[in-house]
Amino acid sequence: MIRYRAFTKRYDGRTAVDSLTLEVPAGSVVALLGPNGSGKTTSIKAAAGLLRPDSGDVVLGAERLNALDPRARRACSFLPQRVSFPETLTGREVVDFYRRLREAPADAADRVLKFASLNGAGERPVGTYSGGMVQRLGLAVATLGTTDVLLLDEPTAALDPDGLCAFYGLVEARRRAGGTVFFSSHQLGDIERLADRVAVIVEGKLVAVLSERELAARLADRGVMRVRLAARVGGLLERIRERSPEAVWFGDELVVPGSASTRPAVLDLVRAAGAEIRGLTAQEGRLDAFYRELIGAES
Amino acid sequence: MTSLRSVLWLCARYELVLAVRSRWLQTFAVVFAGLALAVAGAGYILSGGHGVQDFSRTAVSLVQIVLLLVPLASLVFGGLALTPERGAAELLYSQPVPRGAILIGRMLGVWLALAAAELIGFGMAGLVVQTQAGLDGLWRYGALVLTAIAMTGVFLAIATLLASVNAGRRTRVLAAALVVWFMTVVLFDVVVLGVASMLRSGPASRLLISATLVNPVDAARMGALLAIEGTAAFGAASLALLRFTGGAGMAATLVVLSLAAWFVAPLWLAVRALSRADI
Ligand SMILES: Nc1ncnc2c1ncn2[C@@H]1O[C@H](COP(=O)(O)OP(=O)(O)OP(=O)(O)O)[C@@H](O)[C@H]1O
Ligand SMILES: [Mg+2]
Repeated sequence: MIRYRAFTKRYDGRTAVDSLTLEVPAGSVVALLGPNGSGKTTSIKAAAGLLRPDSGDVVLGAERLNALDPRARRACSFLPQRVSFPETLTGREVVDFYRRLREAPADAADRVLKFASLNGAGERPVGTYSGGMVQRLGLAVATLGTTDVLLLDEPTAALDPDGLCAFYGLVEARRRAGGTVFFSSHQLGDIERLADRVAVIVEGKLVAVLSERELAARLADRGVMRVRLAARVGGLLERIRERSPEAVWFGDELVVPGSASTRPAVLDLVRAAGAEIRGLTAQEGRLDAFYRELIGAES
Repeated sequence: MTSLRSVLWLCARYELVLAVRSRWLQTFAVVFAGLALAVAGAGYILSGGHGVQDFSRTAVSLVQIVLLLVPLASLVFGGLALTPERGAAELLYSQPVPRGAILIGRMLGVWLALAAAELIGFGMAGLVVQTQAGLDGLWRYGALVLTAIAMTGVFLAIATLLASVNAGRRTRVLAAALVVWFMTVVLFDVVVLGVASMLRSGPASRLLISATLVNPVDAARMGALLAIEGTAAFGAASLALLRFTGGAGMAATLVVLSLAAWFVAPLWLAVRALSRADI
């Protein structure tokens, strides 16, 4: 588990994280969501014992040790947002160094290199790696130990679909083994696939803790459907507005904001009017609008 | 938790591998060996090919090069090596070992690498001398080698401090390293001599004595010359110190203490600064 108790961090007088209180229970996967500069990295680094809080604290693991205690780090592995390695070392040398530092068994090195699909590139210097390969190597190092707590700062930012798939599998395995995973991401896909709960942080303040379904529902409410017709149909817009008051014409296209649940009824109206549908797209609500709304609700 | 000794060794080995693959270290090794060979060969050529430069004389001629080059290489190479990029530092210091152990271990690795580079240079020059002039005075040459390695440790300790105070900012570490080098190797003696020349002889010699012990470069010079030449080729400051201590033994002890302090104190401060720093 990880528990933040009124964790506050300032940089040069500017507050990066403001009195964060949050618990990530053992055996759960929690995502940290928020716009750029909202304090995600700061929060995760504090749990990894890299930052001293200005006030409050972070405790973790079964023993509830303060994150600043080196013993607490035995229970956790951290993947930095922009992980880097000395360029002249090979992937295997890097993994081997960290494996020994963590006292992981010798076969752990092969296991994680294979997981990271680096078994071909393991003997090459890191300086020759692509951005995604460096990220995979970082994940490999972070998963060397069988720690209680995984702290991952934007783990999927540079991964291709293959890497994503491997990563999802890894988090699932950790969850099944009763581990705790706390990760930040800008990708709704990650959150949908992995997270039990989502903590939303905006401008350093925790503004919402939602289940994945609640988040999906709230974003869907703020979605938009576009229906392109062969031609405008008189009177149709007025009928649709009874269900979705903000609907408008955009050329031959009907733009219908509103929740996903209103969409079938709108489509029924279109069909009933005898219009020919040339194209149909639906888009879930965008995160930026959602963030703005959450801060609005706060103040 | 991994035992402290094995963490130190692990980090030292990691850093040693990095150092050996570094262009900076390779360049230093070549330059140092080149200069050492040049000095060893020069004595032979200058003497017209017979009055050969033996180990003692080679050691004396090398002192100045060692005093200039070793602090520079230790400060610059050490400072850069011990200032990891942010993403590397974050991963390193999130491991379940004390930050100080990682730092000291890596510093030891750099020390091993620099010492090895110096030994190659000394060794090559030594071979030239030995073939021309035999083993006469070898132990004096050995004293210079020891001085160089001790000085490497002292200036690496200072570099470690610079690196951990300026966590992650390589340009600042590099600038600070050059400033420290200029102050200890060049400026310090000039200022001390300037001030001493304006004082009466009593206070002037006290100033010179403390100066020799306060500045690690002067202390190392004093130590090396004491070992190589006894009291024969001393400058004003060293003579003053020798008179003050009443003998070479006491003077040597003070020199060793000064260097030891310059090794331990910066490392202690570095570990303290790092353990309080935000990474
Ligand atoms: N070392 C630092 N020095 C000064 N300010 C910092 C430092 N690190 C972070 N900040 C500031 O703290 C705030 C939070 O930064 P943080 O890196 O935690 O954001 P983030 O949510 O991770 O953003 P992103 O999505 O871009 O990664 C930002 O305003 C940032 O400018
Ligand atoms: Mg971040």
